[in-house]
Amino acid sequence: MVWAVEAKDLSKLYGEIRALDGLSFRVEEGEIYGLIGPNGAGKTTALRIVSTLILPTSGTVSVLGRDVVTEASEVRKLISYLPEEAGAYKNLSGREYLKFMAKFSGTNKTDLKEMVADAAEISGLSERLKDRTKTYSKGMKRRLLVARALMTKPKLAVLDEPTSGLDVLHSYHVRGIIKQHAEKHGVTILLSSHNMLEVEHLCNRVALINKGRIVAEGTPAELKGKYKAANLEEVFAEVAGLA
Amino acid sequence: MLEGLGNVVVKEVRELARDPKILIGMIVVPLLMFPLMGFAFRTSMQIAVESVKTMSIGVIDQDEGMYAQALFDIFSASNLTVIKLPTTDVEQAAKDIQESNMTAVVVIPEGFSQNITNDLQAKVHVYGVFRGMGLAEASGPEAVVSLVNAFSRFLALDKVEQNQAILDPVSVSQESIVKGKVVSVSHSALSSLVLSQYIGLPVAIIVMLILAMQIAATSVASEKEEKTLETILTMPVGRFTILLGKLAGSVVVAAVGALAGVVGFNYYMGSYTAAFATQPSIDLASVGLAPTLTAYLVLGASLFVALLFALALAIAISSIAEDVRSAQAIVGYFSFILYVPMIFIMYTDISMLPLTLRLVLLAVPFTHPMLAARAAVLGEYTMAVLGIVYVSVFTVVVLYVAARIFTTEKILTMRLRLRRGKPRREE
Repeated sequence: MVWAVEAKDLSKLYGEIRALDGLSFRVEEGEIYGLIGPNGAGKTTALRIVSTLILPTSGTVSVLGRDVVTEASEVRKLISYLPEEAGAYKNLSGREYLKFMAKFSGTNKTDLKEMVADAAEISGLSERLKDRTKTYSKGMKRRLLVARALMTKPKLAVLDEPTSGLDVLHSYHVRGIIKQHAEKHGVTILLSSHNMLEVEHLCNRVALINKGRIVAEGTPAELKGKYKAANLEEVFAEVAGLA
Repeated sequence: MLEGLGNVVVKEVRELARDPKILIGMIVVPLLMFPLMGFAFRTSMQIAVESVKTMSIGVIDQDEGMYAQALFDIFSASNLTVIKLPTTDVEQAAKDIQESNMTAVVVIPEGFSQNITNDLQAKVHVYGVFRGMGLAEASGPEAVVSLVNAFSRFLALDKVEQNQAILDPVSVSQESIVKGKVVSVSHSALSSLVLSQYIGLPVAIIVMLILAMQIAATSVASEKEEKTLETILTMPVGRFTILLGKLAGSVVVAAVGALAGVVGFNYYMGSYTAAFATQPSIDLASVGLAPTLTAYLVLGASLFVALLFALALAIAISSIAEDVRSAQAIVGYFSFILYVPMIFIMYTDISMLPLTLRLVLLAVPFTHPMLAARAAVLGEYTMAVLGIVYVSVFTVVVLYVAARIFTTEKILTMRLRLRRGKPRREE
C-alpha cells in the first residue's frame, strides 16, 4: 500500500537541541490526520520536513511513495504547504496573490482561471479579493491562505496550525473549509494544532506528539476510550504524565 | 530550467513598485529633492545677482581732488548706486548708515590725488558692511575693489604711455595636452569643467547602489518575516529561479530609481553651473574628452556588474537575517565600504595614492564603477574592463553563496540579528 505520508524514525537536531526524536507515522490517502501537542513539541519541524523545506538528521519521509529528500521536486508537485501565521504579499491584491501562486501549478489559462475561481469560493472573500492584502484582517488573510493552499487540489495539503490566532467565527469557517474540501476532492490533509478540542472535531486520526516523539495515536474516539478521558486534552495530560 | 522566472519577476516588480516606502524614497524624492535643491540654489543666486544691481555704496571724499572725482565717476558709471556721504569721519558714517542698505563704504583719504600726481602710491579704504551672511553682501565690497583695481590699472597704463609690456613684462598663456594632443584651452578651466560635469557621477552611482541593496534586502527579509518565502519554497519552482527573480525584480526597480536620481541630479547640477556660469565655453568633444559610444558601453557594463554584485550581496546577507530591520541595518553597514572609495575618487587621482591604500581601494568591488566613470572620459578602457572582470568574479562568488543559502535549509534556520547572542535557530 502506498501511504500519502510515511515517516520512519525521523529525528532532527539543531545543534544540541533534539527537535524530533524517532518520530514515525503513516497517513492514509484521503484522511485528515492531525499532529497535536504543545508548543515546541516538534510539530512544525515534522511538517517542514514533509514539505521539503528542511532535511531530517536521520530517518525517512515519503509522500505517495516519493522520498522528500531525494525526490524533493517531485514531492513539491504533489503537496501544498501552509506555514503557521504566514502572511501574503502586502502590496498585491488577494486576486493577484492567488494568480501568482496558481501560475506555479496551472499550465494553461483555463486551469488558472478555475483555480482562482475555486479559491475565491473557498475563501468567501468575493469582492474583497480586489483589495490589497494589507487591508485584510487576520481572519480574512488566513482564509485567503487556506484557499490558496487548497485551490490547486493537491494530493496532500500540509497545514501548520491552520486556525492559530483566529477568533471563534473565523476558526469555525476555516475548519469548515478544510473538512468540506477534503471530502469533496479527496485531498489528504496533514495538519498540526495545539488546540486539541478543535482537532477532535476535524481529524479522522490524530497523533499526540511530545518532546519530538509520538506518545499516542488513533482516532479521537479510540484515544478517549483507551484513556477513559472526556476529551483529547485529558488524553494528552494522561500520556504526557501531567495528570 | 528557469520555468516560472517571469512570474516571479513580475510579482517582484509589482510588489516593490507599490511599496510606498520604495516609491517615495526611490522615485519621488530624487525627482523632487534635487530639482527643489536646484531651484532653491538658483533662486538665491538670482536674488543675490539682483541685489548687486541695486546695491548702494557710500563714499567719503576727504581728498576732493581730480583723481578722487575720477574714481567717483567710475563708481557711478557702474551698476552701483553711489552716495556721497556728508561726513568725513568714518566712525560717524558707520553709525549713520546702520539703517541704510549700503554694503560698502569707500574712503578716499586726503592727498589721494596729490600722491597720484607725484607718482607715489595712493590709498583707498574699502569698508565692507557686515549685516548677515548673504552672498550679495560679500559681493558688494568685492565689486568696489574690482572697480578700484581697474581704475589703478587705467592710471598705470596712462603713466607708462599705454605700454603694456612695462606693466606685465612676463605674461602666461595656459594651454593643455589631452591624450597626446596639444589643445589651446587653459588646463585649469578644462579640469574644473570636467570635474563639474563628472563629480556627480560617483554620487549618483553610490545612491543607486545603496538604494538597490536596501530594496533587495527588504524584499528578501520581509518574505522571510511574512513566511511567504517559506510558502514559495515548497512550490514546484526552482529555488535558483526564485533567487534570480528577486535579483531581476530589484534590478528593474533600482534602474528606474537610478534614472530618477540621475534626472534629478542632472537638473541640480544644471542649476548649479547655470547660476555660476564661470566656465568658459569649451566643447569637450573638440578636445577629445566627450564620452564616446564605447565609453558609454564600458561604463554601462561596469555599472551593471556592480549593481548585480550589490544585489547579490544584499540578498545573501538578508537571507540569513532575523528580520527586515536587521537586514536593513546590516546592509546599511556595508554602505560604508561604498562611501570610502567615493570620497577618494571624487577628490584624488587614485594612482597618486600610496600603494597599500591603492590596493585596498582596488580590492573593494564598488571602487571599479567609479573608476570606470573617470576612465570612460579619458578613454582608458583597459583598467575599466579589468575592473568589470574583477567585479564579475566577485558577483559569481557571492551569487553562488546566495544560491547555496537559498537551496539549503539555512535560509529558514539561520537568523542573524543585530543583538547580542548566538544566531537563533528554530525550536
